[in-house]
Amino acid sequence: MIPQLDYIIDKILPAFVTFYLVSLGHSIFEKSGILNLAIDGVFFTGTGAALLGAILPIIYNIPISPPVMGVLVATLIAAILGLFMSSVLTFLPISHGAVGLSLQFFSYGVGIMLGYYVRLAYGTIYGVSFAREDVIYLSIVSLVIGVVLHLLIERTKIGAAIRAVGENPHSAAALGVRVMAIRIVAGMIGFALIGFGGALFILSWQRSWDVKLFTLGYGWLAFATALAAGRHPIVLIPVSLLFGGLVNSQTDIQSRLGIPADVAKLTPFLAALALMLTYSTTRLRRIFASPSSLGKPYYKEEKSI
Amino acid sequence: MRIVLVRRKKPLKYGGLVVALLSLLSGIFVFTIFAWLIGVNPYPVVETIVTTFIFPGVVKDFIILTLLGYALLIAFKGALWNIGAEGQMHMAFLASIYITLIVFFTTEKSLPFYISIGVILLSIVAAVAAGALWGGLAGVIKAYAGVDEVPVTLILNYIAYFIGDILVYGPFRGTYVYGYARTDLIPDPYKLSIPVQRQLSGNALIDTVTGYIVEFATYAVWIVALILVLIFTYWLLNKSNIGLRIKILGSNPDYLVSLGYDVRKTTVLTFMLSGAIAGLTAALYYHGSLYRIEYPLEYNTASYGYLAILVAWLSMLDVYLVPLSAYIVSAVILGSQRVSSLPSVREAFIRLQLGGAEMAFKLLMFGSILLAYSILRFIQDYELKVVS
Repeated sequence: MIPQLDYIIDKILPAFVTFYLVSLGHSIFEKSGILNLAIDGVFFTGTGAALLGAILPIIYNIPISPPVMGVLVATLIAAILGLFMSSVLTFLPISHGAVGLSLQFFSYGVGIMLGYYVRLAYGTIYGVSFAREDVIYLSIVSLVIGVVLHLLIERTKIGAAIRAVGENPHSAAALGVRVMAIRIVAGMIGFALIGFGGALFILSWQRSWDVKLFTLGYGWLAFATALAAGRHPIVLIPVSLLFGGLVNSQTDIQSRLGIPADVAKLTPFLAALALMLTYSTTRLRRIFASPSSLGKPYYKEEKSI
Repeated sequence: MRIVLVRRKKPLKYGGLVVALLSLLSGIFVFTIFAWLIGVNPYPVVETIVTTFIFPGVVKDFIILTLLGYALLIAFKGALWNIGAEGQMHMAFLASIYITLIVFFTTEKSLPFYISIGVILLSIVAAVAAGALWGGLAGVIKAYAGVDEVPVTLILNYIAYFIGDILVYGPFRGTYVYGYARTDLIPDPYKLSIPVQRQLSGNALIDTVTGYIVEFATYAVWIVALILVLIFTYWLLNKSNIGLRIKILGSNPDYLVSLGYDVRKTTVLTFMLSGAIAGLTAALYYHGSLYRIEYPLEYNTASYGYLAILVAWLSMLDVYLVPLSAYIVSAVILGSQRVSSLPSVREAFIRLQLGGAEMAFKLLMFGSILLAYSILRFIQDYELKVVS
């Protein structure tokens, strides 16, 4: 095969799929007005759950492909966390940041509990990971998900409701939108995608898992990716390609240009900052602006009592 | 029949304190049930958690987190979500290191009093300036380019880490480090901690009390700084014109415009004040406890910058409750470390075939107690009612 194609399949695409799915999920979640500081924790829970899920078909002889089962378990567990976070933050007027950060630490713990046994008992996970070429199909699937979500947000009533709830939940409620239901839908879709991305992180990109994985902060990098693309599902495609490429080609960039490792590590963050500064000077600034109720506690005055 | 949330007509008596303690207790209760479910004997767990609240080891984290909590409180009052205390601290470390290890480096064991004090003050001033500039940079980007401050401060954290890494690997690497990528130890005359000798008496109560006295004496300079920062923050937010502008910025920026103030300048100023206190904290931490920084930089601060976000938010942005929430957070951190090394926890983890992953227990405990705490705080201002 052509060497460039090999490079794309081995290095660029796995990183792209992971970053795209995680930042897409984050974008959908934050469109509904909830500040998501739990992203890194949920991402790590996704990796642990995927590891456990990928082993299940082997232990219990379930006729389903191990990596697919891993993805299913990861999305399910992440969606449960999303259900919890969005419903609690909509029902009670409490700080989004405090809940998000506490949930982050909690889900680090959950991730270790889920993945550690498999790590000890099985060690290598090459056997249950996606095959090398599968990453092409996974990229196509994630692009389809992205386009569908873009259409959902821009063209459907549910999408309009998600945006309205993010901009001003009180007006949205007055117009008949059920804030709780909409935020739960956005929260579950968003966290499920973050879990999906976490699953692909270990089953397609790294093909290994370790307890210390949560200290690497890939979730925060996806957070930066999502905001550098203004939470826009289509704009996210080139941005996550750029980020995934930069993150995963660090060693190559380093050796080719002969620069220190830390300078190479700095590049994705400088690129994110540069992107955000660039579009802030153009008309994109208005389209990419944060939802105006992002992170504000929601409290509906009860008129009936 | 449904459950609704109603705002309290009159505030709860001693609401802040009582609700804080009750939510903390329920967090501990929920976690204990969980521990019991996975087969850990709950009695030593509860005992360890509770005794950690009267454990002298909490003092150091408490002081640092309170200082940083005040730094973030100022920004949060202006609805500016500064999650960049880490980066501001690291820039301040670099400034302090430049002053103490490059410009005024000495191998003398003791120097005249006025020289040490002068260098330490200079280092603190440099750190405060560096923190304020790094905070101000985020403020400028937020105010003049209109980029959301949360991602900007987060990205600036990482940029600060890597700038520090490059410097520690290159020009700041020490001459007495045996090849490790780290700076030299701070020269003895510039240390701010006061070494205190102590003899254990064997009596638990007396040792706890003397332990607190020893910790407070060791970090006496930090305590003085803490009191000064508390007074400054109180004065700033309640008595000064700038504080009023910050609070209006947080609640209604349009009103600030109609009062004739510049929203952009206020934003930058708020970030600079926040960064300045973070820088001061960093200088105190470096002179009093850290003494050197090592490559990679991410592990030097024990995530104080992120924990301080929790502290500020858990205090419900109340000046008086910041020390309380800092104490709770530092006790829960230390408690979770102590609990995860209990023999009963270790046995339960081995029984679950998770031997070696006690770190999970620590994170679960830290997360769930603080989660319950941050959720239940709503009782202070609201009540649940069942209506038909």
